[in-house]
Amino acid sequence: MNGPVLLIVLPLLTAFLLPIIYRLMPLAGRLTGPLILVVTSIIGLTQLQHLGDDTLAIAMGGFPPPLGISLYIDRLALAFALAVTLGTLLLWPKASGDNPDSRPGSLSLILAGAGCGLALSGDLFNVYVFYELVAVATYGLVAGRGTTAACTASVRYLIISGFGAAMALIGIALIYNATGTLNLAHLAELAPSRLNNGQGLAAFVLLLIGFGVKAELFPVNTWVPEVYATASSRLTALLAGVVSKLALLIVLRLLVLLFPQPEAHLLMLVLGILGVVSGELAAWRARDLNRLLAYSSIGQLGIMFIAFSMPGQAAILAGLAVALHHLIAKPALFLLAERWGGSVQGLSGAAENSPVAAVLFILLSLSLIGVPPFPSFWAKLLVLLELARQAQPLYFLGAAVILAGAALEANYLFRVVSRLYTPDAAQPVPEPQRLPELARAGMLGAVLVASIFVISPINNQLEQLADQASDTQRYISTVNPRVTP
Amino acid sequence: MTPLDLLLLIAAFTVVVMLVSGQLRSIAGENAVALYAAQGLALLPMAGLGYGTVAEVPASISIPIMQHTLHWRFDGLSWFFALITIGAALLSSWFTAGEWAEKFRARGGSMRLFHSTLALNVFSMLLLLASGDLLSLFIGWELVSWASFLMMGLAGGQALRYAMRYLSYAIAGAMAVLVGLAMVYSQTGSFDYAALAAAVPHMSNNQIWLLLLLFTAGFGVKMAMIPLHLWQAKAYAETPGPGAAFLGAISSRMGLFAIIVVVLQLIGFARLLDLSIPFTLLNARDLLAWIAVFTIIFPTFTALRQHDARRLLAWHGIGQGGYMLIGILSMDALGSAGGLMHIFNHATYQAMLFMSVTAVLHRTGTSDLNQLGGLVVRMPLSFLAMLVGIIGLAGLPPMNGFVSKWMIYRSLMDDGSPLLFIGAVIGTLGTILSVYKLIHNTFLGQLRTEHVEIEEAPSSMLIPMMILAAIVFLTGYFPGVVLDWVAAAQAAIGLPPLTHTLGGVPEINGGLDMIWVVSILLAGFGIGALIFFSGNRHQRIHQLDNYAGGHFLSADVRYQYSDNFYPGLMHLIGPWYRASFQWLERGFLSLLETLSTLMQGGYRAAHPAFYLLAVMVLSLAWVVWL
Repeated sequence: MNGPVLLIVLPLLTAFLLPIIYRLMPLAGRLTGPLILVVTSIIGLTQLQHLGDDTLAIAMGGFPPPLGISLYIDRLALAFALAVTLGTLLLWPKASGDNPDSRPGSLSLILAGAGCGLALSGDLFNVYVFYELVAVATYGLVAGRGTTAACTASVRYLIISGFGAAMALIGIALIYNATGTLNLAHLAELAPSRLNNGQGLAAFVLLLIGFGVKAELFPVNTWVPEVYATASSRLTALLAGVVSKLALLIVLRLLVLLFPQPEAHLLMLVLGILGVVSGELAAWRARDLNRLLAYSSIGQLGIMFIAFSMPGQAAILAGLAVALHHLIAKPALFLLAERWGGSVQGLSGAAENSPVAAVLFILLSLSLIGVPPFPSFWAKLLVLLELARQAQPLYFLGAAVILAGAALEANYLFRVVSRLYTPDAAQPVPEPQRLPELARAGMLGAVLVASIFVISPINNQLEQLADQASDTQRYISTVNPRVTP
Repeated sequence: MTPLDLLLLIAAFTVVVMLVSGQLRSIAGENAVALYAAQGLALLPMAGLGYGTVAEVPASISIPIMQHTLHWRFDGLSWFFALITIGAALLSSWFTAGEWAEKFRARGGSMRLFHSTLALNVFSMLLLLASGDLLSLFIGWELVSWASFLMMGLAGGQALRYAMRYLSYAIAGAMAVLVGLAMVYSQTGSFDYAALAAAVPHMSNNQIWLLLLLFTAGFGVKMAMIPLHLWQAKAYAETPGPGAAFLGAISSRMGLFAIIVVVLQLIGFARLLDLSIPFTLLNARDLLAWIAVFTIIFPTFTALRQHDARRLLAWHGIGQGGYMLIGILSMDALGSAGGLMHIFNHATYQAMLFMSVTAVLHRTGTSDLNQLGGLVVRMPLSFLAMLVGIIGLAGLPPMNGFVSKWMIYRSLMDDGSPLLFIGAVIGTLGTILSVYKLIHNTFLGQLRTEHVEIEEAPSSMLIPMMILAAIVFLTGYFPGVVLDWVAAAQAAIGLPPLTHTLGGVPEINGGLDMIWVVSILLAGFGIGALIFFSGNRHQRIHQLDNYAGGHFLSADVRYQYSDNFYPGLMHLIGPWYRASFQWLERGFLSLLETLSTLMQGGYRAAHPAFYLLAVMVLSLAWVVWL
């Protein structure tokens, strides 16, 4: 029963103990963080197994909702919590030389704990708190490199994130004003009568923009290229891969539970389309691998926004499939960019020194573009087929934009690939990839390739996730059993 | 296990074998030839498809994926295309088995990569040809696109740049197809061919127009239909020789195959005629036919201006695709048979021409038409191959190209489309002029001093060329052999099959019997040769033993120039070359560049919070307005 709580509490607690442990035994300090994440991942996995088809709500401290704080646990939430934990574990910050520094470890643990909290929490206020906690952890991590560029990027990120959080807070206030509660289940109950109006829509706009900052939503994503270009590749991978999806999860929950009105969907669709257009075009022009990948990630997030902007369970399935693929492919690409970062021009002939990495890069690019039989093809196909079914003509534009984006993607990613294979006598061949990065990227790549053979089972699993996630009645009755559907 | 399973298995096995052993000097080429021969043999149990006795051979494997099922099957059309594909691969890999591979390796190429790429191309093409629903068609399509990208980019450097250009076109095309598929799915709820065919009558004309645009443009990229043709010539020309022979023979025909299956067979000939273009007397079929005619004319005359033999051939490859399309679009038995037969004919002579040019390149190190000449005395058999090839390409008797073009012309005239006919003839005129330039500048005229010591191409190159020459001649002599397969393919796509004889086409008002035509031609030549060789006193002298105006011409005096060929003609038609399509392409690219610079500028803005507030205010204003 308390397992899910441990997912949040354990990393947070350890984060605050870590400086002390470092002081006492540096080696133990170094090992504690990953160890705790392994433990929490195992807890998460067992929870996922226990849960089966159920959903459950945990009232913290025994106070029943809507008064008390509650966690809502379904497969989707647990899957995201697990993704955060595993992602942080895989992308654990590098130990920096002889001078032991507990800060990156602590911040990463805070990120993991707060991320789990974000995924699991069942009321809006806690969502906000955990969101801020995630934000604080990432500020620290981004600035952690200490270079001027990193600090500038971090400040920019801080400003826009701060504004975003303020907007979200105003949105929450509006909702509270309209309904008098912040418990999501209770809100879902009240939404049709209280939030289906201008005030509700205004609240959604504020929340969307607020949480959209981390989900790389156009146009509050201007921090993305700078931060991704300056932060360490593991952190970038974590931000692009995992944190952005967490914010997306919140937006999805809000959309499904509180704001089923078509105007809300329309707004998201428009911003999603603009995200794809701006991201892919900017990526096409980018001459620096980190920025290129950053822009492309904006484009991919745009696809997810477009997918979630459609009503119904099939749309959620499609969006989740794209998100899952991006969660695996993008971090791997960013990991490769650790050594290959900087100007694409400078990559001439890099395949000579690191043939495996070059092949991996091709594989990941193909998958990102959506070439069959790679998993992303099936994900994009789901999105497209769902888009083609919609009556609103703007959705057709969405489909066209996604595909034009894929064509651009093929162009710029393979421009990089052809650089890798074209040695230039005038400049030195880049150094070979380092093993830790390559191994991590390789692992993610292997997962992608393996998933080609289990597309249908994955699809079934995601279908169940989407089923649960789209079921508002179930959410309400799980948290508040008095209400019978 | 069905015969189709066996074929696909062998093709997949070929890829694996080549990946494992493609670098072995002694046996890789021979292995490849043997494996392609095995694939060819695997076609035999399905020969019923080629003769119309069996309608369809299914594959026993079908893959359920999500809510769709992928399945594969062969029909007469697939069998016909598969035969050409495997034949082209067999002879191309034979061509590599020997000196060519040595030289390729010496220049830093990887034969393992070459062989496995070729095998991958064949495998993906067979998958495409076998596709039994729209989804497997799309998957096959994408695989073929990427496999041919690999083949084009193999040589690196410049070739990779052209391959990238191809990729941009191909992926854009594939995405157009995908939009079309999504539209079809939203209408029918399934990817089955039958479902689309059944839904077409219920779709509005606008929907059909949109589908037509998406599918023809998407698939048309691969067959380099105007105005999507710019990538092809350079990309094919830079492909390593045998690879170019293979791609030139069959790769771009995959686009035609997909157009036949989806646009002509599923959307249907009848529906095309129904779609009229407002304010003109044209319908959708006429529009396509005119595109086909311009696809003949523009590239052919562009070929005339090329001075690299490989580019010249590659440009012709584009133009000949137009003949095939226009033939099939005629929709009657004669014209469509001509179009389909032209696919086979073109594959045979185009592969041979590329091989011959590659042989010259192999020996002399250049394919620049201004740097060659007079090689007939050094490389007579390569000359013979090119001669047979260009007669075929120009569509003159006695080679097979004549038969298919005759059928196409005949049906255009019978159809009452004189303008299309004139367009096609203009194209042929350009073809004849430019192939003459090709053979003249390569093999005729003055031998250059640096080429005096050149030897004939090695047997590994000559044998496949001679096999192809024999095929080109014999299928010209007995076109009925090919027409059997063509008739089965016609039946498979719902066209009336052509009634034919071994020698050609019986028609009430003037048919064609190639056995007679060729026999008389040969008899004429024979009599001429008899008179020439018996009655005439002649003496062989060395080419360099030459006089002009009473002066002895030493070997270094150039008395015969090959550059600036056809100056008079170029003076006349030169101003017509405007490079409008390149201008269009550049315009599009700079538009893209501008847009993306704008977008990037947006992300670079120094005041990020401004956007946030702006979008907030705008959205709230929108909410209030609602």
